Amino acid sequence: MTNDHDGVRELLAAWAVGALPPGDDRTVPLHLAACEACAAEAERLRDTVRLLDGARGAGAPAGAAVAGSADGVLASALRARRPRAAAVAPHAAPYAAAVAGLQALVPELDGRWGLPVVHDWDAHATVAHLIAADEHLAVRLGVDARPPASNIPAGTPAGDAWDRRTADVIAHEHTRTPGETVATWAAQAAELLITPEARDAELAARPATVMGLRLPVADHFVIRGFEAWIHTDDIGRALGLPVPPPADEHLRTLVRLAVRILGPALHGAPPVLVDITGPAGTHWVLGDESEPLTAELTLDPVDFCLLVGGRHTPDEVPRIVTGDERAARTVLERAASLAWL
Amino acid sequence: MEPTLEQPSIDVELHRRLVYGDESALREAYAAYGGLVRRVAVRVTRSPAAAEDVAQEVFAQLWSRPYGFDARRGSLRTWLSMLAHRRAVDWVRGEARHRKDPRADDTVLHGIPDPRPGPDEAVVDRERSLLLHTALAELPRPQREVVHLAYFAGRTYRQAAVELGIPEGTAKTRLRSALRKLAESLADPPDPAPVRGA
Repeated sequence: MTNDHDGVRELLAAWAVGALPPGDDRTVPLHLAACEACAAEAERLRDTVRLLDGARGAGAPAGAAVAGSADGVLASALRARRPRAAAVAPHAAPYAAAVAGLQALVPELDGRWGLPVVHDWDAHATVAHLIAADEHLAVRLGVDARPPASNIPAGTPAGDAWDRRTADVIAHEHTRTPGETVATWAAQAAELLITPEARDAELAARPATVMGLRLPVADHFVIRGFEAWIHTDDIGRALGLPVPPPADEHLRTLVRLAVRILGPALHGAPPVLVDITGPAGTHWVLGDESEPLTAELTLDPVDFCLLVGGRHTPDEVPRIVTGDERAARTVLERAASLAWL
Repeated sequence: MEPTLEQPSIDVELHRRLVYGDESALREAYAAYGGLVRRVAVRVTRSPAAAEDVAQEVFAQLWSRPYGFDARRGSLRTWLSMLAHRRAVDWVRGEARHRKDPRADDTVLHGIPDPRPGPDEAVVDRERSLLLHTALAELPRPQREVVHLAYFAGRTYRQAAVELGIPEGTAKTRLRSALRKLAESLADPPDPAPVRGA
């Protein structure tokens, strides 16, 4: 509570807009009755607020008719250019969300498509790469490839074929505008998300070999979500805009798949308890389960994904290790060497 | 909705869901802040229909450009309130330009006295009110944020200080500087510069 002249003077603006907390709201009028200078200042500020409130007799009174139709506003907002995440089965949900996430970032790239992002790619090439990367699953599910076909000899190793296709698509897309490239990427993603395999878990349980990796189609969708998110995160870093991590349930799906693929790569290694923290958290024993545990390795789910995605090195990834450092180190190195992206 | 220390993390979570195209996050943002957005818009435009348009624009922008809001720079409440205010001022200025009434062009909107027999008091007040709202839209962001919380969102200066993460004294000072500047803008109208986009 304030009684002095200077103190009340500081409160006059808050008084004029009706923003005084209980207590102060009694002090001010008492002082105003006794102080001409403050009363004049108060009157001037109050007049200003009265004008802010709105003019007498002109149109609706302040505060009137503020209730409107939620449906109208929401329907109109959702008609805005950006689509909502597609409704799909849980295995395709991380991909649907990641596609929506990249679409949310696209407007921020206006005029900045030449920004270096990752590898030797600018933002334009990064989206072009996603066209090439998604295409392998899309073609497998009966979606036609969009950029011109590449001339890759049969028998080329999957990794090399992957790199050449990306290089061809980037070269092709660089002859087009970023807007056209985004449209091609988004159209292919939308087609992938309306395939029966995106909506039906049973269909998606069938294995398919995509770029040399034989996994259930559902897992290929998870990998698409993983890659779209990681590259969106790359673009966000280049723009200085932090891209939020995927929803907890999606992050959990990504972590589970990464661990499932990492398991066989650690066959026979000293067993380590890997503890992933947070709401997406869970834990596994990786390595030779018949032996006693040698170490416990605690990682944040996002950091774990960034390690698997090649965005953290085993040296720098934030972690807590108890027990055998070398055994934990082996897990980190194998995770980084999955080199999915 | 009272401001709490958890508000930033609520905003961060809402923003995350908006970014990933979760429609229910837009519904929640509307349920929490739709009333405030309309209140701000109606106060400036004096027109429920215009307020509806402004609310549509504001939530369409939140949905289509979620990265326009940056939780590191302030709360979603102040961001939406400031966006609604700016859009509403733009609406009134656009409306004034489209009207044929010569008294409603920018010259009069910026308070230069008309030598002819004056318009009635209500119209003068209307124009002075728009002048003030234009000046408010151009205040430095730290001052604008306090005005939005204390004036439009009905927060006490103490609650505003908590929500903005600033000392109470700073909130009081910013509010005072802001209101004084607005009062001065009536006495000393600014150049008729266009209002910048949000």
